[in-house]
Amino acid sequence: MIELNEITKTYRKNGGMEVKVLRGISLNIGKGEYVAIMAPSGMGKSTLMNIIGCLDRPTSGEYRLDGVSVDRMNDDELSAVRNRKIGFVFQQFHLLPRTTALENVQLPLIYSREEKDMDAAAKAALEEVGLADRMHHMPSELSGGQQQRVAIARALVNDPAIILADEPTGNLDSAASSEVMAIFDKLHKEGRTIVMVTHSDEIAERAGRIIRMRDGGIVSDERKS
Amino acid sequence: MKSAKTVNLALKALGTHKLRTFLMMLGVIIGIATLTVIVSVGKGARAKMMKSIRNIGTNAVMVFAGGGKVFGPPDEKTNTLTLDDARAVLETVRGIKSMDTALVRLGRTVKYEDNNTDTVIYGGTINYGEAWEWSVESGDFFTEEDMNSMSRVAVLGRTVVKELFGDADPIGQNIKIENVNFKVIGVLAPRGTSPMGMDMDDRVVIPYTTASRRVFNTTYISLIRMAAEDPNDVGRIEEEVASVLRERHHIQPGFPDDFRVRGASSISKMAMGAMGTMNLFLGLVSLISLVVGGIVVMNIMLISVGERVKEIGLRRAVGATKRDIKNQFLLESFLVTVMGGIAGVLLGLVISVLLPRLMPKMAAMPSLEPFVLGFVFSGLVGLLAGVHPAKKAAAMDPVEALRG
Repeated sequence: MIELNEITKTYRKNGGMEVKVLRGISLNIGKGEYVAIMAPSGMGKSTLMNIIGCLDRPTSGEYRLDGVSVDRMNDDELSAVRNRKIGFVFQQFHLLPRTTALENVQLPLIYSREEKDMDAAAKAALEEVGLADRMHHMPSELSGGQQQRVAIARALVNDPAIILADEPTGNLDSAASSEVMAIFDKLHKEGRTIVMVTHSDEIAERAGRIIRMRDGGIVSDERKS
Repeated sequence: MKSAKTVNLALKALGTHKLRTFLMMLGVIIGIATLTVIVSVGKGARAKMMKSIRNIGTNAVMVFAGGGKVFGPPDEKTNTLTLDDARAVLETVRGIKSMDTALVRLGRTVKYEDNNTDTVIYGGTINYGEAWEWSVESGDFFTEEDMNSMSRVAVLGRTVVKELFGDADPIGQNIKIENVNFKVIGVLAPRGTSPMGMDMDDRVVIPYTTASRRVFNTTYISLIRMAAEDPNDVGRIEEEVASVLRERHHIQPGFPDDFRVRGASSISKMAMGAMGTMNLFLGLVSLISLVVGGIVVMNIMLISVGERVKEIGLRRAVGATKRDIKNQFLLESFLVTVMGGIAGVLLGLVISVLLPRLMPKMAAMPSLEPFVLGFVFSGLVGLLAGVHPAKKAAAMDPVEALRG
């Protein structure tokens, strides 16, 4: 599903100094896997997530997603890949304010080339996260956990191959966290591929595979049996 | 479906900051309202002018004694126009079908038994009917013989008949004009109101010779009325008549005329001239408002783009292309200016309706054309003002944008 081969990423800082954030990452993630990526902050895990999510391009190396090389895709093609194959869940939810849950969930459909019944698809996604009864609520009328669930529904609405979650419980209290994590568990059981960045060992423990990073490289890759 | 959602989201974004949206619309509202007033007042003035021209006749050319700008015959002290002038015009200028020369006095008393009324005494010729294209509806007009013998016969306008006789038949009755006895021989067909708002039917027509020798004791004339053979010739005839008279009156270039030539051509020129200055001024107001409005829209859109960096990042993450982002912001600035444009047209139409009440000389004709103009101009302003902010939004790096 995700094949990374010798991926590097180098940033040029304002002073002209080059900073190597990723130093040759090779990684395979199969369909249906539930992977947690752990690293101290500033150690390249967000950059890796952005590259996997086709938001950013590697400086060198090869990335094949779902069997297709994305290295030479132009900006429009990458946008289409993000739209169809990837569902993002962010730490800060990133919901549009003053816009109902239903309309927030519909956002990816606006940019989809497929013609779908937008209301039906968004309702189904909200049902999946247990918020069908809140679809006409504004984000400000929802709790943090509910907001993150709306964001998960938005990630699901185009039925993507991969869910990418960047610290999805980072802004939530423990009750809301377990609420959200229960949904990820359920999605995993339904056979979705999930890649999650987290600080928390407790969260990482729920994944089937834990990859630890340090200084732009992978230091360990454990699978639970 | 998808485009409806997009428009809906754009409207929602605009609705979030109502004051800001209103400020964005303000310049466009003023600009388009002004444009609407220009169109309505322009149409009104044109309609008024066309009515004036129809009223005096599309093929009419008139010469009034005395200079100045007003329309209509002069007061009696103006002794500048003679029958020789008229004859010279008729001999020199081609294309004149018919000419009537007249000695005219305003506000003279006419009596019938105990009734009296103040009216216009028009001492004309037997060409009256042809030159004015105006015949009698009952009785007869005076004849060549009446002219030669200075007959005391009178043809009355409708208003005079009503004032003196009520519903009775005036023909054959005796009236007194300036204490001279006249016999009523005919009644003119009703003509209505003149371009300057005078009641054209408030007049008594008598033979020029009678007016000149028996009543007013002068040989000067007050006006010449001509009918052109071809209405398209009116402009040329006006110019040629003026130059003949200037020469005869020895008026040097640069000095004002002591006569006024009026016809369809000069009336429309005068109306257009007055309208042109006003249109130039209003057009400038409109242009400046639209430019300022556009700059305001651009700046507020730039602020909006700056505030919605995270939203842009999110939209990119869920699959929006650069073009999608650009179109979204273009759509917002387009919608806001078009809404401003529609509001501007409505405001302009209200002003156009109220304006003639405040300034009675102003005529305004509200119409649907401003909606088209308003849509095109305001939309154009929105697109032009939106380009820079929209491009800026589209060029953002999604990763940076998500970070905010």
